[in-house]
Amino acid sequence: MVDALAIIYLTLGTAFLLGLLRDEWRILAYGITLLSLAMVSGIASTWVWHLADNPAESVEIMTAGASPPFAINLRMGLAEAAALMLATLTGLASTIFLKDTLLRLGRRAMAVLLVFIMAICGIILTRDIFNLFVFFELVVIATAGLVLLSHNERSLGAGFKYLMASQVVSILLLVGIIFNYHVSGSLNIDDMAGMSDMLIQTTPLAFFLLFIALIVELKPFPANGWALDIYESAHPAFSAILSAAAGTASLFAVDKVLAIGGDSWLPVATGIGVLSFIGANLFALAQTSDRRLLGYSSVAQIGLILAIIGQRDILGDSYWLIAGGVLLAHAVGKAGLFWLSGLIAERELTAWTALRDRPLLLFAFISFIALLIGLPPFPGFYAKWELIHLLAGADRIALIVLILFGALLETAYLFRWFGLILKHDEVAEKAPCPIQKVVVIYSAVVAAWSLAYLWGELSVFGNLMHAIPLLFALLFLPLEGLPARIKNVLAIGGLVTWFILQYPLYDPLQLIFGAIILPGGALILLASFHNQGRRIGFYPAALWMFAGLSMLIVAEDSFTFFAAWESLTIGSYFLILRGKHSQPHAQSYILFSLGGAFLMLLGFALASAGNPLFPLESLTTVAEDVAPWVFILLALGMMTKTAAIGVHIWLPGAHAEAETDVSPLLSGILLKAGLFGLFILLIYMGRQQLYGIDLTHVLLWVGAISALLGNLMAIYQEDAKRLLAYSSIAQMGYALFGLALMNHLGWLMALMFVVNHYIYKSMLFLSVGGVAKRTGTKEMYRMGGLITLMPLSFIAVLIGIIAVSGVPPLSGFGGRWIFYNAIMSAEYRLPMVIIFLAGPIAFLYLFRLIHTIFLGQLKDEHRKLKEAPFWIILPQMIYVACLMVFALAPGLALRHVDAYIDNFFPRNGLNWEGLTITSTYGYWSPVSIMIVVGVIFATLFAWLVFVNRRAQKVKQFNIVFAAERPYRPETTHFAWNFFAPYRKALGFMTQPLVTRFWATVAESLHTSAELFRRLYTGDGQTYAIQLLGFVVAVYLLSSGVFYGV
Amino acid sequence: MIKRFTVFLILLALAAIFAQLLFDYVPDSSLNQTGRYYAENAADEVGAANIVTAIIVSYRGLDTLGEVTVLFLTAAIIGLVLSRDRSQQQTAPEAVNRPGPGELLVTGSYLLAPLILLFGAYIFINGHLTPGGGFQGGAILASAILLLLLTRPVKHFSHRLITLLESVSGLVFVIVGVLGIILAGGFLDNRILPTGQLGELLSAGTIPIIYSFIGLKVGAEFSSMLIRLAETEDN
Amino acid sequence: MEHIALATGFLLILIGLYGALTQRDILRMIVAFTIANTGVNLVLVAVGYIRGRSAPIINDNLPAAEATARMIDPLPQALVLTAIVIGVGITALMLAYAYKLYILRGSLDISKIKELKW
Repeated sequence: MVDALAIIYLTLGTAFLLGLLRDEWRILAYGITLLSLAMVSGIASTWVWHLADNPAESVEIMTAGASPPFAINLRMGLAEAAALMLATLTGLASTIFLKDTLLRLGRRAMAVLLVFIMAICGIILTRDIFNLFVFFELVVIATAGLVLLSHNERSLGAGFKYLMASQVVSILLLVGIIFNYHVSGSLNIDDMAGMSDMLIQTTPLAFFLLFIALIVELKPFPANGWALDIYESAHPAFSAILSAAAGTASLFAVDKVLAIGGDSWLPVATGIGVLSFIGANLFALAQTSDRRLLGYSSVAQIGLILAIIGQRDILGDSYWLIAGGVLLAHAVGKAGLFWLSGLIAERELTAWTALRDRPLLLFAFISFIALLIGLPPFPGFYAKWELIHLLAGADRIALIVLILFGALLETAYLFRWFGLILKHDEVAEKAPCPIQKVVVIYSAVVAAWSLAYLWGELSVFGNLMHAIPLLFALLFLPLEGLPARIKNVLAIGGLVTWFILQYPLYDPLQLIFGAIILPGGALILLASFHNQGRRIGFYPAALWMFAGLSMLIVAEDSFTFFAAWESLTIGSYFLILRGKHSQPHAQSYILFSLGGAFLMLLGFALASAGNPLFPLESLTTVAEDVAPWVFILLALGMMTKTAAIGVHIWLPGAHAEAETDVSPLLSGILLKAGLFGLFILLIYMGRQQLYGIDLTHVLLWVGAISALLGNLMAIYQEDAKRLLAYSSIAQMGYALFGLALMNHLGWLMALMFVVNHYIYKSMLFLSVGGVAKRTGTKEMYRMGGLITLMPLSFIAVLIGIIAVSGVPPLSGFGGRWIFYNAIMSAEYRLPMVIIFLAGPIAFLYLFRLIHTIFLGQLKDEHRKLKEAPFWIILPQMIYVACLMVFALAPGLALRHVDAYIDNFFPRNGLNWEGLTITSTYGYWSPVSIMIVVGVIFATLFAWLVFVNRRAQKVKQFNIVFAAERPYRPETTHFAWNFFAPYRKALGFMTQPLVTRFWATVAESLHTSAELFRRLYTGDGQTYAIQLLGFVVAVYLLSSGVFYGV
Repeated sequence: MIKRFTVFLILLALAAIFAQLLFDYVPDSSLNQTGRYYAENAADEVGAANIVTAIIVSYRGLDTLGEVTVLFLTAAIIGLVLSRDRSQQQTAPEAVNRPGPGELLVTGSYLLAPLILLFGAYIFINGHLTPGGGFQGGAILASAILLLLLTRPVKHFSHRLITLLESVSGLVFVIVGVLGIILAGGFLDNRILPTGQLGELLSAGTIPIIYSFIGLKVGAEFSSMLIRLAETEDN
Repeated sequence: MEHIALATGFLLILIGLYGALTQRDILRMIVAFTIANTGVNLVLVAVGYIRGRSAPIINDNLPAAEATARMIDPLPQALVLTAIVIGVGITALMLAYAYKLYILRGSLDISKIKELKW
């Protein structure tokens, strides 16, 4: 193994060597610089390889032939090697990125860059505190020098402010060092750590000064105005090194030095870290400059890692995995984003629309923000999971809440940025792609995914990258060049095959959901065949969502469940974002979903009492005092997915604005994930009481109110898809009600709902989508009289609304029947009444759907329309057939489910004899009903035809009334503001209170961000004063620590 | 006004911290473990009579390497910053009529400059024997250059020579350090050359060589910085 | 004796910081920082001093055998050397910045350098 010191003297020697070259030999100088950085990266990498296999062989490197503390020593362990590899590779990549700038500036700039990397490596390696100071000062000087690389005058100001701040820091650091030396007699960190108790008792102030100086080097919020200016104005490749490599080294230094202070100082580190994380993320909300936003994000992430360092007493063996995971994810993601910003000409966030036509760069962007937020399969996901669990095990709940809040803020601005890139109105010029910059960015993407794989291998939960559904989704990335139709065939094939493979393993509950997700999804995807072109981005996102869904239903432990949950959320977010006007809706969707996911995470952590490996069945044995809270948290999380009232505001927009074949996927399949989760929750946890209130009773109320309000809001909608979306809210309310009844028939009804709702909602969305495609509008009052032109769509909608409304003979009626039976055996009166009320209200909008679109007067502009495209019609017809079959023989699906539910609620099942179904209260004979209805219908139909023989055909405008002869269809088609009287009477029930509530929450966050960021006045002296003020504040606040309190 | 008050308050708190440190300070009555080790062993192991030099060049050589690099960086950066500006300024040089330096000044500086240079060289060559060393000697060298700069502002200095000197000295330092790994106990171990007799000029292994190069380097770098700063004056 | 030196050092630091944080002119700020640096160096040197002992140089006056009993701690002196040089480096850098800022802005007032904020 090459001596680790080689990293130091190779880079340094090369820097000196560059001075010997002539100034004109720039290319040679550049080549030598690259070679040197490549060599040290190679050395660091070989050490990582070597130590990964033999971790016990970490090396102490002595210098000058004497041992510490009389000479300086360095240490190379696995953590050091990994950090060195990160630093050197980042340096190498940035040097490649900076090729043009370096060639322009000459060999001196290259020498400064080399020394910068050397100093970062020195900080990581050294075990001597004064040596640490020297290397830190080298970093400061090199930073100030490199800041001059970007030739704008703003960076000059930033560099000067930086130098001012570092002067103050070095004063504190030196005083701290010398007093520590005085007390301990050594400058070696390990020696001092050994004497920690004595040090802290005699002169805690000395340690305090040392500690706080190193903390300020991390640029914590709010003492970091100078750092943000550097991030904003310096060359992005340099900011990448500063954030990724220098940040890593500084964190390493703090970690080393904290050992001297002992455990009593850890809470201080945690406090500062969490403050940084939340504060910086909050301020980032108000940013419009891309690099400044990235600067705030860097501060926040480094704060998070500092907080993790502060928790090392409870993290035990997982410490390096957790801290390292978040650190590496931050480094690669942040560096990647900075490098991407080097391709964008302007500094506004909206200028990033230049990436819109570059799918590979978009994919890079997505990978980087996924890394930062900690979405699966990236390392941050595993790290956050373990961290939250271990914190819960130590009862540090407040800390968990703060961390999750900060993470949600981060999600908000990062996804908003992505939404801007894809959806902002004005598009900037396509980003240029100089080869060296693009190579660097792609290698960062490769690094990101490699880290994802690596952390999966290292984790005890199994490698997410080994999950076949996820890999199948990733497979579509290289295939993006193919036409959409081929990809569709592949997708459908994949879904069906996976279902066939998994079929034997499903229990009946999983089978129902699995059948909806996999073959059901394939059926909806049939409609995607009508798309031509390549549909870049659709298939990976859709299949990622399906992967999440299929993994969700077979999840056996909380980790897989949660990973699947987040995967389906992300996939569906990208699908929703494809709609033309969907950006704000997609944004609120992701916020609510991830917020709910975080609540679930907290719930799982509490339930498992700190054990990250938690089989779902153990939910039954959760401790008594904790169980109700776990129930509430998990239920809330699930309900954000089913859009229960209160967290429903994302659904109408998201489902309405999505593309034609995406809305059925969302409404038909995705909502069921939440229901599945609730099933699992209720199966394992059953009834729970909190302060005497039965929580399932609360769920009952929520379901009932959702049903009522959803239906009420639907009737006022002019947009057909919005109407259907609100209807979904109501239907999910019904299902929730059925679940919350906690009896056999209630659950049977809920499950039947799952299937029914999937079929008819998908069908309705598809037909409305098809009509919208042909007419060019979604507003119902613009349509009318389309029955003659689009008969198949009409039939589909007709069957659909019959099924939804619960009118015989279709399956909705059966569902109603089961429902009434279920209620009979329960004791709840008022929620029952509400649900009953909700039923007829649904009639109102269902009628409107069919009347306004298909009946009434045909508008002039629609006279030449054809039927909806074949591929959209096909699934609808299949659904119609399904509904018919299901109406006639419901036992096909339900019999096994009924038997399965016997496991939970043994009594009150249904008897399935022959063609009649009996319950304790009555009987239901689907075939007889169908026959009766069929006979009545046929009779009436025959009479109509008979009577119609002598009917006289009348033209559309052959109507005269009140001496007026209409000549435009709009005047005779009553369609707009259809339910105005109802709005007058009942409008008060549909005030947008919830929307206003959430809007206020968001507004207040933004306002506080806008207000408080004025803290950073831009004056360098003020920043220095804030720095000292921060030091004094920490001193005052932590004075308890000084005296061992 | 508020600002001054705030600064005053913050510094008051800082003063409190310092006062605390001051009152808790118990001066040593004898050497601590590190000091004692150096006192007992530095002379034998390293062979230098000036123990501080022994520490700087040998025991804590890595710090010195960092220090040397600091100066190298600073000189490089100042060169980077100010030379770009010089090229921008050359578009309109105005010859300002300045009275030349008087004969007394010029002759005096010609007399003094070599003496100062000699003194500086003496300091760093004898770094291992008497107080002083490379950095101090180098600073003295630079002060000679400063004297020349102040008295004869038109004199032209070769940046090429200075850069060459810097790089060569730095490289020698690094190479000697690496030789220390190969031939002796570790990086920057000075015993690749014999330690000789304590108190002699040619003793203490590589220390005289290293310190001489450091002296030249530091002198060159300080001079370079001063020259660049001087060149920024509007002519 | 040592306390006086330490107190002087601390006082210099405080004076320097006060100047740096309240003066508007960049050059004055740099001078103030220099004063503060000097204070720090003074503190560094004062810590190693042992009353009644002499400099850590072995010659006829202080033979090797008596070194342990009559020498002050040499380590802080080595540290302060490094600290001084680093201080010089940063001061030079700040001066270069001041020069560039003056060329580009025509002013040496720190409160004028404010385009980058919040």
